[in-house]
Amino acid sequence: MAKIKKKRLATVSGPEIYKDTYEFQPDDFTLRGDVETTRIDTNFASQNYWLEVRRRFFANKGAFVSLILVIILGLLAAFGPLMTNYSYKEQNLSQKNFAPRVQGLEHFGIFDGDESLKTTTGVKEINGYEEKGLTDTYYWFGSDVLGRDIWTRVWEGTRISLGIALCAAIIDMLIGMSYGLISGYFGGKVDNIMCRIAEIINGIPRLVIVTLLMLVLPRGFITIVFALMITEWIGMSRIARAEMLKLKEQEFVLASRTLGAKHFFIIFSEILPNIIGQIITQLMFCIPTAIFTEAFLSFVGLGIPVPMCSLGSLISDAFNSFTTHPYQIIPPILVLALLMLCFNMLADGLREAFDPKLKEM
Amino acid sequence: MKKYIFKRVLISIFTMLAITLVLFILLQLMPGSPFNDEKLTATQKAALNAKYGLDQPLIVQYAKYVFNMFKGDFGVSYNISKNTPISQLIQSRLPISIAIGGMAVALGAIVGLFLGIVAALKHNTFWDTFCTIISVLGVSVPSYVFALGLSYTFGFKLSWLPMLYTQNSPIASSVMPSIALSLFTLASVARFTRTEMMEVLGSDYMLLAESKGVYGGPLIVRHALRNSLIPIVTVLAPLIVDLMTGSLVVEKIFSIPGVGSLLVTAIQSNDYSVVIALSFIYSAMYIGIMLAVDILYGIIDPRIRLAKEGTN
Repeated sequence: MAKIKKKRLATVSGPEIYKDTYEFQPDDFTLRGDVETTRIDTNFASQNYWLEVRRRFFANKGAFVSLILVIILGLLAAFGPLMTNYSYKEQNLSQKNFAPRVQGLEHFGIFDGDESLKTTTGVKEINGYEEKGLTDTYYWFGSDVLGRDIWTRVWEGTRISLGIALCAAIIDMLIGMSYGLISGYFGGKVDNIMCRIAEIINGIPRLVIVTLLMLVLPRGFITIVFALMITEWIGMSRIARAEMLKLKEQEFVLASRTLGAKHFFIIFSEILPNIIGQIITQLMFCIPTAIFTEAFLSFVGLGIPVPMCSLGSLISDAFNSFTTHPYQIIPPILVLALLMLCFNMLADGLREAFDPKLKEM
Repeated sequence: MKKYIFKRVLISIFTMLAITLVLFILLQLMPGSPFNDEKLTATQKAALNAKYGLDQPLIVQYAKYVFNMFKGDFGVSYNISKNTPISQLIQSRLPISIAIGGMAVALGAIVGLFLGIVAALKHNTFWDTFCTIISVLGVSVPSYVFALGLSYTFGFKLSWLPMLYTQNSPIASSVMPSIALSLFTLASVARFTRTEMMEVLGSDYMLLAESKGVYGGPLIVRHALRNSLIPIVTVLAPLIVDLMTGSLVVEKIFSIPGVGSLLVTAIQSNDYSVVIALSFIYSAMYIGIMLAVDILYGIIDPRIRLAKEGTN
């Protein structure tokens, strides 16, 4: 390889000036094909898009913490009910309305099963466990009006709420994405008609569609997913359409078409991978909406049928006695609020990671 | 501009027709018929059907149904209060709901706008963080959680405000519901205002205005705020929808005798005719608001106002 030598140019007083000169070596003129000697210039190498996204995502503290919290809540939803000996529908009327009691913590004066009741004669401290002489019974979050363990029910409810939200969001994504992509790609009359249909559906309040559907169909998991599916795909289709309009005039699409690619190949194999970031972000925004709508439906009395429970139905049940036994309503509300918060922050973080221009604003 | 408004109105009419069609079909699907009495003979039934127009083709029935709906004739309630015309049930409840909803929108829009402006002006300070936290919380936490929290602290523990709605003191009893309802609007408006203001504040014409000697209040209000208001108007429409959903739950929590709690009761007691009537009213209100916002947007935004070909 050529050696670089520094040669002194001017010697007059003042700053010393050097000039690089090359001294050629014999092996400069041989063919370089071997792997060992060729290197990629790492300074200017193109960065992997996903690596960049990941780096930007993890640099965002709020989003990262939210991700961890979502994972923890997910794990608790999966394994929480297994951590106790109670089942979510097992009733024990002799042990109803027990305040939370946790092993270990009970000696520190918190979570010891005490609760203060406001009666006409004043505030009264009662402890359900001691009254019944139960030394070995622990309800970590307390027990409800039917003597069911709230810990088990909260995580069972989280599991159902999350399940509904995930199913609904994924189905929404598939429908909305296809609808928007097709509408944007074909343009013209097709686009016009498809847009008008979407606009009309969007014009009907979500509340009305969901309520009416729930009245006509039998109650249950699938019905709620179906109701959410019908209303939530519009947002996704709008984003997919807008992205499609941006991309479809680009050269790579033209190249693909020149090479003889069919319409659906171009839509789903050429353009879709380029907008997957926006789609995932929108998916993440769909999840809290779905959780919220489900909770709302349960609160109104159109949710999951008993004895199954969701976060909304737990809140709705505990609402009736929330002034006397506030500990019954706090866990489901906290989990619900935390889930909504985390998914929103996660979605915000993803949006910024996929589209760094947004952050500068 | 004319074309734009015409298009919007046309879409609204079609949406309304679609809704009435869905409601009509649902009404046909509902179990039971008003003439289930076994003593009725076939001729009597036919006479009854003829009297109520049930022997006519479906399309005529549908037309009649739409006509009645728009006239405000929704039929009678079956379960909630037997044989009371639904329009009567709604008449006394609608003003209460609209009052609380209106208060919530006003509160949310004004406070949200203020928070957003402050956050944008004091970018990257304590106020900015405070505003961001409020808006993230407000968007993520459902309104009934706030409602429960408020009702527990101020209603139950401190007894400052009535926990449940009382007819005697409508103002004091609507404070907490309005605040609980407004938080979502407040948070969203604050968030959008902040983003829009930041964008406008960084633009060239602000620099021009400043260099021409405009400063302080007039600079913020006339030059920055006016331009950032345009997109904010569009987010208000979906917010009003969320308000409708929220009102159902909040009205139940504070037992407000409004339309929302009527709908909840109707759902729980399977009073289909009330549910359908209220669905119609909700949809009509929603579509009306959307249309108003769209037209307002067209008037404010010069890009639409001056366009020859109205775009979407």
